[in-house]
Amino acid sequence: MKATEEIFSMLPAFKENDFPTIGTELELQLVDLQNFNLGMEAKDFLRRLSEVEHPGKVIPEITQSMIELNSSVHNSHASLVTELRNLRDILANEAYQAHIGICGGGTHPFQKWSEQRIYPTKRFVGVSENYGYLAKQFTVFGQHIHVAVPNGDDALYVCHGMARYIPQFIALSAASPFQQGVDTSFDCSRLAVISAFPLSGTPPWLLSWREFEDYFQKFHEMGIVKSMKDFYWDIRPKPEFGTVELRICDTPLTVQKAADLTGFAQLLVKWLLEKRPNLSQDIYSTYLINRFSGARYGLDAILIDPIAGLHVPLAEDILSTCDFLEEYANQLHCQFALQQIRKAAQMRDNDAVWLRRCFMDYKSLNDMVRGQTEIWRE
Amino acid sequence: MQVLPSFPLRISPVALLGLTLLLGLIGGEIARYTRILPRITGYIAVGILLGSGGLDIVTPSLLSYARIFVEVSLGLILFDLGRHLDFTWLKHDPGLLPTALTESTLTFIFIFLTLLFFGLPWQSAMIGGVIAVATSPAVVMMVAHDLSAEGPVTRRTLILTSLNNLISVVLFLVCIPLTQPDISWYLACGYILYRLLGSIALGLLMFCLTMSIGFLIGKRKENQFVLFSGMVIFTIGFALILHLSSILTVFTLGVAARNLDHKHYLIEVDFGWLARLFFILLFVVTGVQLQLRGIWIATFTVIAYLIMRFVAKSIGLWLFANKSRLTRQQTWALCFTLLPATETALIMSYKLFDFNPEYGYLLMTVITSVLAISYIISPIAAQIAFIKTNEAISNPHWRFMRTSQDPL
Repeated sequence: MKATEEIFSMLPAFKENDFPTIGTELELQLVDLQNFNLGMEAKDFLRRLSEVEHPGKVIPEITQSMIELNSSVHNSHASLVTELRNLRDILANEAYQAHIGICGGGTHPFQKWSEQRIYPTKRFVGVSENYGYLAKQFTVFGQHIHVAVPNGDDALYVCHGMARYIPQFIALSAASPFQQGVDTSFDCSRLAVISAFPLSGTPPWLLSWREFEDYFQKFHEMGIVKSMKDFYWDIRPKPEFGTVELRICDTPLTVQKAADLTGFAQLLVKWLLEKRPNLSQDIYSTYLINRFSGARYGLDAILIDPIAGLHVPLAEDILSTCDFLEEYANQLHCQFALQQIRKAAQMRDNDAVWLRRCFMDYKSLNDMVRGQTEIWRE
Repeated sequence: MQVLPSFPLRISPVALLGLTLLLGLIGGEIARYTRILPRITGYIAVGILLGSGGLDIVTPSLLSYARIFVEVSLGLILFDLGRHLDFTWLKHDPGLLPTALTESTLTFIFIFLTLLFFGLPWQSAMIGGVIAVATSPAVVMMVAHDLSAEGPVTRRTLILTSLNNLISVVLFLVCIPLTQPDISWYLACGYILYRLLGSIALGLLMFCLTMSIGFLIGKRKENQFVLFSGMVIFTIGFALILHLSSILTVFTLGVAARNLDHKHYLIEVDFGWLARLFFILLFVVTGVQLQLRGIWIATFTVIAYLIMRFVAKSIGLWLFANKSRLTRQQTWALCFTLLPATETALIMSYKLFDFNPEYGYLLMTVITSVLAISYIISPIAAQIAFIKTNEAISNPHWRFMRTSQDPL
């Protein structure tokens, strides 16, 4: 009995929330301003940051050229933007003195994964031992969006309800066209790296939190996972926060865009929980194809709707989503974010487009990264 | 027509140069197998062994033949060093420039007084002090490269090395005319102004030329590699024709490339394999010129020189460590990484020899011994510093000197 309790204690009780509050995590690149390659600076930079007051949290990530910025919990898009800008400015000031660059983007365009070094914490060392070279290849940079939901059952409902909209987030946030020194022809090449992990993918088709606890227990007993952190799903429930965590986005080039995507997710969750559209497991029959299309073609992708049996241009799909989210944007004071998402879909303009344009102008990946560090500070 | 070689066979300078390179390579690898010594120590040891202090097989003709390669090596290193001097960092870190100025000033004063105390004439003591200011960029770069060291201590070491080399070269150009007893003040001023401003002006002119060519050839790494190498060699040659300081001219070119390339025509180029070749040659040839006899002649002077230099640099670093928000470990590490005495010391000592042979000889005796000891101790000290601060890539052999928070 005691052993069972210990197993259950690994999956915390789902924290209940009445309001769809939001928060975000941004994995950021630390670059050497001499050559604009990734720099092994996380440890010293985090030490410097710990000496100054700042909102949210900044924590290490798997390799020493990455940091993760965590916002606080917010009710509105506007307060999230304010906090992220404030945090960005503090980070920029510290980076000035340490003489390193910070930037967004889903991948660093020319870093060599073999040169990366694992950040020395017990968890990251464990990941490195488990996954071998994949751990260093995991030097990619994503945005994780948290939206609060009322309970565990709703969390699972939202996880599966959002599956239909995952390609929209991939295409809107795509900011990783270059990897290992070449144009990958993908708008988002970061996802291919994550797909290599055996625990990546989507959550199991379970809609009751009780069943999910059993599922987790089974995996825990088999020694596959220790906590929810070990599931690298595109979207997953986060019981201790009482949120659903969307993990599919590339880290955008600006904090404004990161906040806009978070606002967009908040509206979708609000709509899903209020309208409660019927869910069908059939959505997963084309999930991987649509996920691939979103990553490969960005906002020019064509989606396959397996339930309606239609091919839909992704940009048009985003625009029609924006239409039915309009009334929720008014309720949650999120009109500006929705307007920005609509504009991006209309112009077919994501960060991957910006990065390719920057590379065309400078004809150098090093200078492109310099451009990334500059736009991040704007 | 003579088909067969004439006997007895005479080894050509080209063959000797190749042999020097190969022996240096082997020496470096032997040092590495000891698991404690860095490769540089092996290169220098081979040089000392081949030189007049050892087997005496390196002839003056080989040395003159190798001189062009050594100058190119030094030129590339100084150009690269100049590119590490980023003015924006000086602007944003309020402790950086004061650290460099203080540690350089204290080093100059401490060494000047030390050499005076041990009976050297003030002219030799002054040049000795100037030489002591500079840290060896070649040793720092080579140790950092061999350990794949990366991080705040490595970067700070390079910019401080860049700054103290600049200060040392400028001081040298100002002080060297003063060592001539019968020089008039206006001739001295003219000499200083011509060499100082002329070198900077030529460096800037060469930078403009580099930018123009860079604009034409585009950003292909291969092209820019040749552009930088060619421009450095051209700059050295031109500086020598005009009797300017090739060190300051090439350094200015590097600094300008880092700070004045606003349109980003130039890219970062890694000299890679070529650098390795030049590094080996530079260290072996430097080793050939080193003599240990000064250690027996002026034992206390040499020991005092090394200790006072370390103390002066350490005081300078510790005074502004808080201002730069360095940890204690980082500050200690910098005290050790700035330890290597520079190979340009020999060039400066020779210059003093040209100006005043008597003072030059006295100084040369001390400096060659200081360099010999510094090349043995300081690469090891720098290596330990990079490992202790976790900036070097892990090597199982270093377990005895690693901390618990080592990177993997």
